[in-house]
Amino acid sequence: MRLKQQFLTGLLALSLVLSATALAVPKGERTVHVDYKETKLKNGLRVITVEDHSAPVIAIDITYNVGSRNERQGRTGFAHLFEHMMFKGSENVGTGEHFYLIFNNGGTMNGTTNEDRTTYFEALPANQLDLALFLESDRMRSLVINKANLDNQRNAVQEERRLGVDNQPYGQSGEIQQALLYDNFAYKHTTIGSMEDLNAASVEDVAAFFKMYYAPNNAVLTLVGDFNTADALKKIKASFEAIPSQPTPPAVDMTEPQQTAERRATVDDALARLPQVDLAFKAVPGNTPDFYALQVLSAALQGGQSSRLYQSLVKDKQLVTNVGGFMDEKRGVGALYTSATLKPGVKTADVEAAIYDEIEKLKKDGIADWELQKAKNTTRRNFINGMQSSLSRAIQMSVWTVYYNDPNLINTRLDKVAAVTKEDVQRVANKYLTATNRTVVITMPKPKGATTAAKQ
Amino acid sequence: MSNFTKFRNKVSALVVIFAFAVMPVMAQQRGGAPAQQQQSVVGADIKGRAPVNKEILKVKLPKAEEATLSNGLRVVLLESHRVPTFTMQMVILSGGLSDPADYRGLATFTASLLREGTATRKSKDIAEQIDTLGATLVANSGLSSFTSNITSSGLVENFDQVLDIFADVVRNPKFPQEEIDKYKQRQIAQLQFLRSNPQFLAAERFQRAVYGEHPAGMIFTPVESIKKITSADLARFHSTYYRPNNAMLTIVGDVTLKEIMPKLEKAFGDWQKGDVPATKIPAAPEPGAARIQLIDRPGSVQTVLQLGNLGIERTNKDYFAVLVMNQILGAGPAARLFLNLREKNGYTYGAYSNFGGSKFRGTVVSSSEVRTDVTEGAMKEFMYELKRIRDEKVSPVELENAKRALIGSFALSLEQPNALLQNIVTQKLYDMPADYWDTYPQMVSAITADDVQRAAQKYIDLNSLQVVAVGDASKAREVLSKYGTVEVFDAEGQPMTEVKKPTQ
Repeated sequence: MRLKQQFLTGLLALSLVLSATALAVPKGERTVHVDYKETKLKNGLRVITVEDHSAPVIAIDITYNVGSRNERQGRTGFAHLFEHMMFKGSENVGTGEHFYLIFNNGGTMNGTTNEDRTTYFEALPANQLDLALFLESDRMRSLVINKANLDNQRNAVQEERRLGVDNQPYGQSGEIQQALLYDNFAYKHTTIGSMEDLNAASVEDVAAFFKMYYAPNNAVLTLVGDFNTADALKKIKASFEAIPSQPTPPAVDMTEPQQTAERRATVDDALARLPQVDLAFKAVPGNTPDFYALQVLSAALQGGQSSRLYQSLVKDKQLVTNVGGFMDEKRGVGALYTSATLKPGVKTADVEAAIYDEIEKLKKDGIADWELQKAKNTTRRNFINGMQSSLSRAIQMSVWTVYYNDPNLINTRLDKVAAVTKEDVQRVANKYLTATNRTVVITMPKPKGATTAAKQ
Repeated sequence: MSNFTKFRNKVSALVVIFAFAVMPVMAQQRGGAPAQQQQSVVGADIKGRAPVNKEILKVKLPKAEEATLSNGLRVVLLESHRVPTFTMQMVILSGGLSDPADYRGLATFTASLLREGTATRKSKDIAEQIDTLGATLVANSGLSSFTSNITSSGLVENFDQVLDIFADVVRNPKFPQEEIDKYKQRQIAQLQFLRSNPQFLAAERFQRAVYGEHPAGMIFTPVESIKKITSADLARFHSTYYRPNNAMLTIVGDVTLKEIMPKLEKAFGDWQKGDVPATKIPAAPEPGAARIQLIDRPGSVQTVLQLGNLGIERTNKDYFAVLVMNQILGAGPAARLFLNLREKNGYTYGAYSNFGGSKFRGTVVSSSEVRTDVTEGAMKEFMYELKRIRDEKVSPVELENAKRALIGSFALSLEQPNALLQNIVTQKLYDMPADYWDTYPQMVSAITADDVQRAAQKYIDLNSLQVVAVGDASKAREVLSKYGTVEVFDAEGQPMTEVKKPTQ
C-alpha cells in the first residue's frame, strides 16, 4: 500500500502558477498525508499510532520533554550523559542488552539529545513489536543507576566530546559562538557540556533527573508501521500504563533579551589551517511565520550552488572554499547561521564584507520568483523523501508533539512554507539580519612557530 | 576501499548515542533462532528476559524492470510508489581506474566539472535550474573506482525538466577553462582544509600503506594532476568514455517504464556509441611486512587508530565468510570491538571494523578514536580481539546473532528504495547471478564457525598488519613502539626524524 498521496491545493499551487520562471509550470504537485490516531494513557503518556502496511517494519520513538535547556549551572552536558545511561540496563534488561537485541534482530536504533528534547528510537522487523515495547517500557519504569555504569558512560561521552569538538579544527568555535550569542543559560551552553561538569555528575543527579523528567506524563510515544492499531494500543497500555506519573517538571524560562550591539570573538585554533568566519543572527522560535520566512531566506542566501553567497564568494570573488548555513529550528529563540572557510591568503574582513553586501542586496531588493520557488521545492522534496521510512515519521511526529503540541504538523508543515511570500522574506531580512543583531566568531590558525617539531 | 565516509565540519547541536549508520543489507528467508537465555558477553549483560520473536520475517524483494534504448543504452527501473519522488543515475562504466598513470584524477575532474557548463547552459544556469526545481545533481568518480556516476533526485512532477538538464550535463559538457581554473584553486584549498582533519590523515596514510602505488593508494587527487588539468583533456576523457554502450541508466521512484521510456528515448536515443577502450583492473599489491606508521598532529587530544590489511574482491568466494566475521568483530555496537573498547573499557565513543571489495581486493580494517593516554590500552584490546577472532572459534550464539542481524535487516531495507536499487546495480556491475540477492540469506545461513575462523586467519594477517595512528607523537610513539618500529610522518606525509618531547 502506498502512502496516501494528495494533490496540494491552495496557496502553494497558486503561488507556483503565478510565479514567472523560465521553467514550465509543474503539472500537479503531490504530497503525502499521514493518518494518525492519538491516545492518552491514564498516566499521561501521549501515544500516536500510524498504521501503515507498506513494509514489514515497525518503528517506535519516545521523546522526553527534556534537553540541555533544563540543565543547571555546573551540570552542563548532563541531559546527554543521562541519555547514555538509558542504555545501561533496567530491571529486566541488562547493560547494553537493549542495543544488543535490536541490532542482532535486524533492527536499528539510536538516541539523541539536543537543547530542547531527548529522543530514543528503534526500527525492527514487524514481528518484533513486543520486543520494542518491552525494552522501552522497562527502562521508563525501572532504570538501573550505579556508579560503575555512570563512570563508563562518562568516559564514552568525554570521548564523544573530544571526537567532535576538542580534536577537530574549528571545534571550539561553535561553542564560543553559542556562549556569545545567547544570554539565557538554557541555550548559552552546548549540549555536549564541559569536561569539568561531566566529571561532576553523580549517581544522585542521575536518579533525581530520572524521576523528574523520565515520567510517562513528560513523554510522547509514536509507533509507525505494520501493525493493527487496536492490538498495538492494547499492548502499549499493558506495557506502559502502570508506570506512575510524576509532578510536572518546572518550566524553563526561555526569555532571551533583545540584542543591541554586534558581538564578536576571535579564536586561535592550533588544529585549523584555514581561517573561518562564523556568523549568527538571533531570530525567532521555530514553527512561527517569521521562522518559515527565514528558512526561505536562508535557501536563497546560502542553499546550494545557485545561492547568492556561493555564486558571489566561491565563484565570482573566489574568496572561500566553501560557504553555507541554515536557519536553526528551536523551541526558544533560534538563529540564522552562516559559515565560510577561507582560501589561503584571503582576509576575513573581505569575506565578512562580501557576505554583508549580499545581505544588504536582499534587504533592499528582496528575492526573485525563482528563489522563492527553489526554497519551496527543495523543502518539499527533502520533506517528502524523509517520509519514506517509518522511523523518520515516528521521530518527526514525537518531536513536533513535544515541541509544539502538534502531531498534525506533519500534514501542515509544507503549507506553512508555501504561505511565505517574497515580501515576508524581505521583511525578515530587514528585521533580523542587522549589524547590531549579529554574532561573529573568527577562527584563525594558530601560528606554529618554534614549537613545531624538526623536520627532515 | 577506504572505510572513510565523511568529514565532520561544524559542531552539531545534536548529540547521539552512536555515530553509527546502519547500512541495510538484504535478506529473504527464515533462519534458526538462538534460544533466549542468559549469555556471557564481554561489555554487556544479557539477561534474556525480553520477548524476542524467533522467526526471521520472510521478505520478498521487489524486482527491477529492464529495457534498452535504440542506441543500446541499458535502462534499469525499480518502481517505488511510496512517495512522489525519483532518483536517476547514469553509471558510466569507466572511472578512476581508466586514468593514465601520470594523470591520476582525470575521471574525477571530468565528473566534477560536468555541471560547470554545457553547449547551451552556463554553470550558473545549471545551478539555478536544478535548484529551482528543488532537485539535486551530483557527479563523481573515485581515484580507484571503475565507474563514474551522475545522480539526480527530484519531485516526480518535475521529471521532464530534471531529465532535460541531466541529459544535457551527461552528454554536452563544455568544460569551460575559466571554470576549470576556479575548480583547481578550490581543490588545492580543500586539500589544505582536509589535512586539518585527523580521520582524513589516517585514511590517507592507511590506503597508502596497503596499496602503495595502486590507484587505491590515494584518497585525494594529487596536486600535480590538479595543476595540469585542461579543458581539452577533460573533453577527450568524456568523449572516449561517456558513451551509451559504456553506460547504464538506473532509475528508482514513483514512475513507470511505460511512461518514461519515450522520454528517455528522446533524451538519450541519439547519443552516439563509441569505441571504448577496455580498462585493465590493476591487482592490489601482495601484502608486505607489518608496519606501524604514526602521523604527528601536535595538539591532538585523541589518537586515531586504524589496523588492517587487504581483504577480498567483491565477488570472492569468501565474501559471506568475511561478512559474518566482520559482523561479529566490529560491524556495529553489538559487536566485539564496540562492546570491549567502549562498553567495557570506556576508551572511546566507538570502535568498529569494516570491509569492502571492488574488482580488486578491498581492505579489512578496524578503527577507533581514543584519548591519548589510553592509546596503550586500546592497542592492547585491538590486538586481543584481532588475535581472538583468529585463534578461537566464535560461539554458536554469536554466529546465530550475526546471521539474524544480517538477514533480519532486509525487512528495513524495503523502506529504502535507493538502497534496493544500489544492490541491483551491484549485481549487474559485478556480473553476479540474477538471483544473487534472493539467495543471499541462504549464503549467509550456510556460514559456519569454521568458515569465520578461516576468513579471520586469512584476512587478518598479523604478520602483515598495517597500523596507522594519528595523534600527538610525543606521547603515542613510545606506546606504539611496543608493537614494532614506529615510522613517524608529518601531516604532509614527510618522514620526521625527531619528535618533540612531552612538555608537561
